[in-house]
Amino acid sequence: MGMDGFEMKADYGQFMDLKEGWVDRRIFTRDDIYEQELYKIFARSWLFVAHESQLPKNGDFLTTHMGEDGVIVSRGHDGKVRVFLNSCPHRGNKVCFADAGNARRFVCNYHGWSFDGKGELQGVHEEYCYDPGDLDKSKNGLKQVAKIDSYKGLIFATFDNEAVSLGEWLGDFRWYLDCLLDNEDGGTEFMPGCIKSEINANWKFGVENFIGDALHAGWTHDSGTRAMNGGEPFPPVDMANSYHASVNGHGWEFGLEGVGDIFLLGRPKVMEYYNDIRPDMAKRLGEARSKVFGSVASASIFPNVSFLPGISTFRQWQPKGPWKFELKTWVIVNKNMPDEIKSEVTKGVMQTFGPGGAFEMDDGENWENCTTVNRGVVTRHEKLHYRCGINRRVNDHPTFPGILYQGQYNDANQRNFYERWADMMGAERMADMPERYKSVMSGRETRDITGVKAV
Amino acid sequence: MKAQKKEIPLQPYVSMELLTTLTQVLYREARLLDQERYDEWVNLLAEDLHYHMPGIETRYRRDKYDQVADLNRMAYYDDSKEDLKKRLARLETGTAWSEDPATRYVHLISNVEVELTEKDDEFLVLSNFYAYRNRNERDDDMLIGHRSDIWRRVGGGFELVKRQIILKQNILLSKNLNIYL
Ligand code: FES
Ligand SMILES: [Fe+2]
Repeated sequence: MGMDGFEMKADYGQFMDLKEGWVDRRIFTRDDIYEQELYKIFARSWLFVAHESQLPKNGDFLTTHMGEDGVIVSRGHDGKVRVFLNSCPHRGNKVCFADAGNARRFVCNYHGWSFDGKGELQGVHEEYCYDPGDLDKSKNGLKQVAKIDSYKGLIFATFDNEAVSLGEWLGDFRWYLDCLLDNEDGGTEFMPGCIKSEINANWKFGVENFIGDALHAGWTHDSGTRAMNGGEPFPPVDMANSYHASVNGHGWEFGLEGVGDIFLLGRPKVMEYYNDIRPDMAKRLGEARSKVFGSVASASIFPNVSFLPGISTFRQWQPKGPWKFELKTWVIVNKNMPDEIKSEVTKGVMQTFGPGGAFEMDDGENWENCTTVNRGVVTRHEKLHYRCGINRRVNDHPTFPGILYQGQYNDANQRNFYERWADMMGAERMADMPERYKSVMSGRETRDITGVKAV
Repeated sequence: MKAQKKEIPLQPYVSMELLTTLTQVLYREARLLDQERYDEWVNLLAEDLHYHMPGIETRYRRDKYDQVADLNRMAYYDDSKEDLKKRLARLETGTAWSEDPATRYVHLISNVEVELTEKDDEFLVLSNFYAYRNRNERDDDMLIGHRSDIWRRVGGGFELVKRQIILKQNILLSKNLNIYL
């Protein structure tokens, strides 16, 4: 028995058969499984916590969650970003109640302990009441995460001392991430603000939707697509020239037409902008990735971040129990874009993927009902179908890294996401995780690699 | 505590007749929205409409950054009339699956105040809203907040030129915003 009496060695593979192509619905609903997710997935993964552009100045901070653990992400007065628990070591009270801001220190409301931007305990109210030896200030700061690192603007943190490096965690998925994060000089930034909403659904439904569910787009979002583009339907999918790619549970589904997602944004000026920079993008990232970017595509970073390259919504599915998640959304833009284009992108994102957006409005209801029907005990024992495209594996593709499947209408990335989930849930130690894909770009800067054969 | 602001004089800045008329305009508008009569609602909107509902983060009092005024920020709505028409076009496609069965809406409008502006034909209209939504079996939520409008006199009636909506929730406590406020 492990922590809190939960069975640590359970075989989570029993909840799915990915060779057959099904997943057991109880992984979306059981309290004990959810509790294990917090320990095994969220307390051991590299989790997205902020974009560097959200903390431009020393003293800037924001609050967020890693799993259900509330944390403060703070740029200390030494300019370094740190991540620590938003919980006072004295009696545990929350020490920061703002979503974001700039602070010299965080003072606890309960007994007045105060912490600096590094999370270190600076002072305590009525300090004379502590006799020598009662309180070692150097040992009573806010608990820091085990590791912090960033990839091209995205800051990640992990609670796990034994975690592999962020580079290894992302692996060859970095090659795809460059399409979003490194398609132009200057990289990316978040527009100011963060819109949050609460959805009564299991967090994995959000992740798996973005990791590979192109199929729902043409149906669920028929109305949104037509609304944004003067009645035109969802762009046709070219099954021969589109793929699912999965690395370490991260996944990207994409076409190669280069314009589909930008078209869905419904902002012609943004399309013009990308058309203008595309030749440079091709020089920078190679022909293939300049076409991956902007095509009908969606992606998730394991375990709980998703985005739409070309549409520019960036989001995190924060777990709040098996039946609920909080959706945090941002707008990601290229730093070098003129202000007018940044503003066009922002408006476009909010009109498509804001809570009142023509697309977003139809998603939440699906995920909620996929979840809540499983209150029925008979219902929750029915298996879910994940077999689409199961025989379309592509081996040794000359360009695209990862576990590759042909045709973007596919359940491949979803299957690989759940495989990673089960591997991690079942692994006592991360080092015991089976290797599902062998990296070909390990340790190398991926921007300059045009494709697998070029390695 | 800050020094007390000057008391607002009790007599209205505008005639009772204008106050009553604009209040009726708001009630009429609310009824159109309750009944999903969006074509008629759009007719109330000026060509130069700015319909703005900022996303507001929780910040400390000492933080003087004006989130409402910063139009670069993400917003639930930051729309022109054309933008709103696009959103509404979704309902006309017949394939907005999550709108069928229909959502049941009630817009309650209160605390109406009308003030003159520098322009003879434009009026500042402040109000509070309590918007109730219920759909399917037990989807149920309420949205409460303030509105600050500019209404312009045109012909025999009024058109909405500007609306700023301040929702009093930090996290939108529902799955979407299939509603206009
Ligand atoms: S709980 Fe924070 S000072 Fe006591
Ligand atoms: Fe969707």
